[in-house]
Amino acid sequence: MMYKEKFTLHPISAVINFLKVLKDMIIPFVIVIGVNGFGGGGFEGWTSYIIYIVYVVLLVALLVSGIVEWKRFRYWFEEGELRIEYGLFVKKKRYIPFERIQSLNYTEGILHRPFGLVKVKVETAGGGATKEADAELTAISKEAAEQIKKEMVLAKNKESVTIDETDQTEPTVEQRKPLFCMSQKDLFILASTSGGVGVFFSGLAVFVSQFSELIPYETIYNEIIMFIRFGALLIALIVFFVLLVAWVVSVAITFINYYEFTIRIEDDEIIITRGLLEKKKVTIPLSRIQGIRIVENPLRQLTGHATVILDSAGGSLAEKDEKIRLIPLIKKDKINHILVQIFPDYEFEANFKRVPRRSRKFFYRLDFLWMIPVAASVSYFFFPFGLFSLLLFPLSFLWGAWQHKTAGYWMDERQLVVQYRLFSRVSIWMEKKRIQAMTEHTTYFQKKAGVSSLMTTIKSGVSGSATTIPHIEKVDAESLMEWYEPTRIEPIDIEKEQPL
Amino acid sequence: MRQEPINRLSEKGLRVWRIYGIFQSLIVFLVGIGAGVINYFTGQYIWLYIADGVLVLLIGYLLIYLFPKIRWTRWRYEVREQEIELQHGLFIVKRTLVPMVRVQHVDTEQGPILRKYDLSSITISTAATSHTIPALVTWEADELRGRISVLARVAEDDV
Repeated sequence: MMYKEKFTLHPISAVINFLKVLKDMIIPFVIVIGVNGFGGGGFEGWTSYIIYIVYVVLLVALLVSGIVEWKRFRYWFEEGELRIEYGLFVKKKRYIPFERIQSLNYTEGILHRPFGLVKVKVETAGGGATKEADAELTAISKEAAEQIKKEMVLAKNKESVTIDETDQTEPTVEQRKPLFCMSQKDLFILASTSGGVGVFFSGLAVFVSQFSELIPYETIYNEIIMFIRFGALLIALIVFFVLLVAWVVSVAITFINYYEFTIRIEDDEIIITRGLLEKKKVTIPLSRIQGIRIVENPLRQLTGHATVILDSAGGSLAEKDEKIRLIPLIKKDKINHILVQIFPDYEFEANFKRVPRRSRKFFYRLDFLWMIPVAASVSYFFFPFGLFSLLLFPLSFLWGAWQHKTAGYWMDERQLVVQYRLFSRVSIWMEKKRIQAMTEHTTYFQKKAGVSSLMTTIKSGVSGSATTIPHIEKVDAESLMEWYEPTRIEPIDIEKEQPL
Repeated sequence: MRQEPINRLSEKGLRVWRIYGIFQSLIVFLVGIGAGVINYFTGQYIWLYIADGVLVLLIGYLLIYLFPKIRWTRWRYEVREQEIELQHGLFIVKRTLVPMVRVQHVDTEQGPILRKYDLSSITISTAATSHTIPALVTWEADELRGRISVLARVAEDDV
C-alpha cells in the first residue's frame, strides 16, 4: 500500500468552529446572563466576578476546542474513498466511497472569501437518518475542493469507463456558460414582492379606514364608530409601519441571498450559485430530480412572474429545504425555454383538462360545515359587528370557485402535470416513473356526483410529497389509474425506460 | 368501472377490530361515566343522563359493530406481477396502486392481539410512502411478503 498524503483544513476553520459553537450557545448564554443579572445577585465584592471568570474560561475552552478540532481533522483519498479522520476526544474515522457521494456543495462565507476558501459539504445518498451521515470540510482552498471533485470523477470513471467517458467530453466544454442569470431588475422584483402581500393589505386597511366616514351608519352608533374608526386607523398605521420595516429588511435579505443567481449545467448536474456576502453553490444531479413545480402567487400571477421549484430525492435531513428553488423569479413566458434545455425529457406545453362544473361544490362545501357554528356563535355573542362573520360564506365560496377554476391536469405517456391552487397557483410536472404510488379517493358524496380525487406521491427529500388532483370525473380518475398501472402497457417498455 | 381487487382480509381480522372497538368504547364509557358524575354534582338533569347513556351506546355500536364491519367489507387487496392494488377506507374509499418497481421493502408485524388470533399485518414501503394490509393469517402474510420481495427484486430501479 502506497503512502497517501493526508490533507488538513485551512487554519481559519478553527475560528469558524469556534464561532459556530458560540452561535449555538448564544441563546442559553443570554438567558443565563438575563437570569443572573449583571450584578450577580446576592454576591458581594469579588465573588460577583466569579460569573465573569466562568464565562471567560468557557470562551477560552471553546476556542481551544475549535483549534484542536481543526488540528485533528484529516482527509485523504484512498481506494476510491474519501476518508476523514476527526474528533475532539474520541478519534473517529469515516470512509465514504466516491460512488456513494451524491453531490458536493460549496459555500463561501464571509470568513472564507478573503482567503479564497470554500466550505465543502459532502452529501451521500439518502441513507443515514442522522446529521452524521454527511461530511463537512469546514474550510479548504478552492484548488483542494477542485481536487476532491477530480478524485471523485476519477473514481467514478473507473467504475464504468465505457459509459462515462463518452458522456464527459462534450457537454462540459460547451455548456459552461450559464443557462440562466437573474437580472438585477428581476432580483429587485423578487425582493420587493416576496413579503409583499401583507404590506399591500395593511396599506389597503389604512386606505379603507379613511373612507369609513362615508358609510352612513355613523349617525346610529356615532360614539362607538368614532372610537372604532380612530382605533382602527391607529392600529392600521402601526401595523403598516411595522410591516414596512419588516419588508425593507426582507428585501435586503433576499437581495443578499439571491445576488448573482445563475444556473449552469455540467456533467448531468445542475449547478446553482448565488449570494453576495456568502457565496453558495449547490449541485443537484439531474437524476435525483423527482418533480418540477411552477408556483405563481396571485400578485406575481398578475405581473406574469413565477417561481420554479424542484423536488429532489435524498439529501440530508440537516438540509431543511429539500425543495430547491431552481429559479426564484422569472417571467412566465421565458420559463419553458429554460426548462426545456435543462430537462429535455419533459414536455412543458401542457394542455390542461379542467375539473367538471358539477364538482365545484366540493371545493367549498366542506368549509361551510365548520363555518356555520363559528359564524353563528360569533354573530350571536358579538351581536351587531359579529354579523360581519357571515361574510366568510361568500368569501369562502369565491375562494372555492377560484380553486375550482384553477384545478386541472394533463398527461402524456411519460408524465403527469397537475395544476391546483391553495392560494398560489401551482403546476407540477411529474414523470410517471417517478411517481411512487397513486391513490384514488372517493367519498360518499363524490360517488353520487360521479367524481373522485386522485393523490399522487413522489419522493421529495427524505420523505414523500403528495399532490392531489381534486374532484375530477370518475372516468378520468380511473383512466389515470390505468395509465399508471404497469401491466396495462408493454412491460418491456418500462424496463427500457428505467435506467437513466 | 375498474375491477375491485380480489383478495379479502382474514375473517378473524374482523373479530380483532371488534376487540379494538371494545377497548375504544371502554374509554368512551369511562368518559360517559365522568360526564354522568359531573351531572350528578351540578344539575342532576334526567335528560342529560339519558343523552349521555344514548351517546355512549351509540358510539359503542359504531365502534364495535358498524365501523369494523364496513371497514372489513371494504378492504380488498391484490398482488399482481407488476403492481399491488389496495382498496380500503371507512368514509372515503381509497384505492391505491403501487408498482412493483417502486417497492423498497416489505415488513410483517404482529402485536399481542394479532398474535393471539395468528394474524399479521404487512407493510409495503416505497421510497416515499408506506401501505399496510392490516390483518392476514400469518402464513399468508409471510408468503405474501416473500412473493412481493421476489417480484420487487425482479424490477430494479434508480430511485
